[in-house]
Amino acid sequence: MEHPILFISVILNWIGLPVPHGPIGGTLLEKLTEPYLTYSWLIMAFLFVVPKLTLGKLELVPGTGQNFWEALIGGLMDFFAEHMGREKARMLFPVLATFFIYIVLANMIGLLPGFMSPTSSLNITVAMTIIVWLLHHILGFRYHGWKYYKHFTGPIAVMAPFMIILELIGNFARLVSLSMRLFGNILAKEILLGVLFMLVGAIFAPLPILCLGVLVSLIQGVVFVLLAVIYCVGAMEHAH
Amino acid sequence: MHLPRRRAIKLTQSNRERKEEKGILSDLANYSQSGMTFALSVVIGFGMGWYLDNKVFGGRTTPWLSFIFLGFGILAGFKHLWDLSQRIAKDDD
Repeated sequence: MEHPILFISVILNWIGLPVPHGPIGGTLLEKLTEPYLTYSWLIMAFLFVVPKLTLGKLELVPGTGQNFWEALIGGLMDFFAEHMGREKARMLFPVLATFFIYIVLANMIGLLPGFMSPTSSLNITVAMTIIVWLLHHILGFRYHGWKYYKHFTGPIAVMAPFMIILELIGNFARLVSLSMRLFGNILAKEILLGVLFMLVGAIFAPLPILCLGVLVSLIQGVVFVLLAVIYCVGAMEHAH
Repeated sequence: MHLPRRRAIKLTQSNRERKEEKGILSDLANYSQSGMTFALSVVIGFGMGWYLDNKVFGGRTTPWLSFIFLGFGILAGFKHLWDLSQRIAKDDD
């Protein structure tokens, strides 16, 4: 889906950098200036700069900026603690909260005209899913040592080779479905918005879809992080 | 230590509400994932069989490994549903 106007691409073009016309660039420089990458960097820069500006120095009596971040971080912490216990939530908080804030912001930024969601590219979602997938297996090995293989062999020893194949398929299905769901939902939102803007943008037809887009963005962010939590909890608990 | 009666009632209420809220969100995550995982298990199972048939064994075993792994894929899908229902039954207690 070609977006009508992407501000960063326009600016890069104006500076003189090559911007790929298709989804994938040819040269290395074109690969680095693909829209989903530049917008991903924009979000990273936003997440670095805005908390620095709004937080400044931490105070005992929080101002508006600090209040917002305290509510967000505290709410996330409570949310994770409900699902995995306070101690494990504290251990995994940095990676999970980063995923949540990044995904929600990346989904939401596509609602503005002239911006696109990096999560509507399969590259970004697959990268995040691989991190989650590796993370939960590493946690499994950290918590159980070599006995972690018992998660994959099932309760009966005779059935073990059979169960390993099933678990292998199930693990690949996890990897694909987690990335494809986020990607598919956000791409659908982007395409729908683009088409509606082009066809009937003059009479505000995309407005209901924009409202739905806010909802979808939040829900997909929550679901992605929650599934990551469920996988991690499953890897850390004892094999049945 | 005694909590005042009204406060105690309020506390249990908010706990129950909180539990329901957790249930809704994790159910949303579980169910929105389960259909896709089921379908993908079948596809991935068949894909693995096809790869073994055509790439690893060079077509000598041709339809058989694909069919066998298709069966594995379907079973993996059902196993996912079984694990999910077990986890939900455990959470409900």
